[in-house]
Amino acid sequence: MSVPSPNESIEGLSVRPGAASNLPPPPARHRAFGSTLQLLALCPLLAVSDTVVKALGFSTLVLVIFPLATLLLSALRRWLADSIVLPASLLVTAGLVTAAELFMRAWFHDLGASFGVFLPLVAVNIVVIDHIQARDVSRGTALIRSVRIALGIALTLIALGFARELVGRGSLLSGAATLFGNWGEHLEIKVFSVDMGFLLAMLPPGAFISLGLLIAVRNWIASRNPTAS
Amino acid sequence: MATPADKRHIAAPTATLAIIAAVLTVGLVTFANLTRDRIARNQQVWIKQHLDALVPPKSYDNDPLVDITEVMAPDLLGAATPIIAYRMRKAGLPVAVALRPVAPDGYRGPIELLVAIAPGGQLLGVQVIRHNETPGLGDAFENRDAGWLGEFRGLSLTKPPQQRWTVRRDGGDFDAFTGATITPRAIVKAVRRTLEFYQGNEDRLYQDGKPQ
Repeated sequence: MSVPSPNESIEGLSVRPGAASNLPPPPARHRAFGSTLQLLALCPLLAVSDTVVKALGFSTLVLVIFPLATLLLSALRRWLADSIVLPASLLVTAGLVTAAELFMRAWFHDLGASFGVFLPLVAVNIVVIDHIQARDVSRGTALIRSVRIALGIALTLIALGFARELVGRGSLLSGAATLFGNWGEHLEIKVFSVDMGFLLAMLPPGAFISLGLLIAVRNWIASRNPTAS
Repeated sequence: MATPADKRHIAAPTATLAIIAAVLTVGLVTFANLTRDRIARNQQVWIKQHLDALVPPKSYDNDPLVDITEVMAPDLLGAATPIIAYRMRKAGLPVAVALRPVAPDGYRGPIELLVAIAPGGQLLGVQVIRHNETPGLGDAFENRDAGWLGEFRGLSLTKPPQQRWTVRRDGGDFDAFTGATITPRAIVKAVRRTLEFYQGNEDRLYQDGKPQ
């Protein structure tokens, strides 16, 4: 009986499709696997979608951090043995996210404070998504892919932000001053006045219900127009 | 028994990781140094806004953000860490002390307060400076019941008497918000305990580390 070398055992545990065997996974399954994981990776970020301003601010950060992390990681990969790809990506993304936190505290103090733990959580999402990606793509392809993922996250957050703030508070762009500075105070739109608001929309379950509705709409459009999906 | 080949196999990746960690550390320390002053200033501005809402800046002539002291009283002030007290004086005479106690039993975690007290133990006011209460219910003091925190102004340990220093539901004098009892109960309790701490420590609060 042979004891597997450390390298083999780590490769065997890898969730990276195609890493454990030489056979590429079936494309359809790969796509489903990837999008499910993306959806799961999005879930912890839903907490910052209760107002438009928070969603906008957070999306901007995601749009910067995600491609930057991909660039750094793909540049580094050539020096990384397989066994340390995961810890190295954790280190790099954690470093990037820490820098982003410092940046928020220095220049967008109040908005950054409202992100709480969810900004550091972005590091986990990046590592997960980076880890499931096929390794043998060029740097350009990886970059385009990460921009697309970041855009997807950003658009989802902003759409949810609009819906939840409108339903939950009857306003749009409340607290805009935390993102745009003092002139942002005039940006808030009071669509209708509510005493308590529709609470469910503001609470975390509201985020999941809104996301479910969003996915339902997407699926409905896709089912009406099967060729364009 | 590890062979020399195995050792190399471990040594090289370890060194790579160490280099990455070192580069990141240097980068982050540099960035942290660059932003430190700005972040400290932001926090001062933030606490000053809350302070100004409680004590009119014209009523004192020192800088309460510099004239601070730290006190420890986990039972009364709700935190196992030192609590900051900002001192306000006019011509060296005490005007007010603002403490930053914690209400540890909020509905969703601790509620950080700023409690300003005039000499003699009368409340100048209470501000909630950080909380995780349920949006729309427990955070009513921020919008729906915006006047609620204002009701503390002018109260003291004897007004109302101690057994009425709680929410109405518990037989006290304080209203709760619609749909939330735990949050107001926690805040009222924390304010009362802060007053109790103040009563036993008034002299110390003004004297400790007093700038000459």
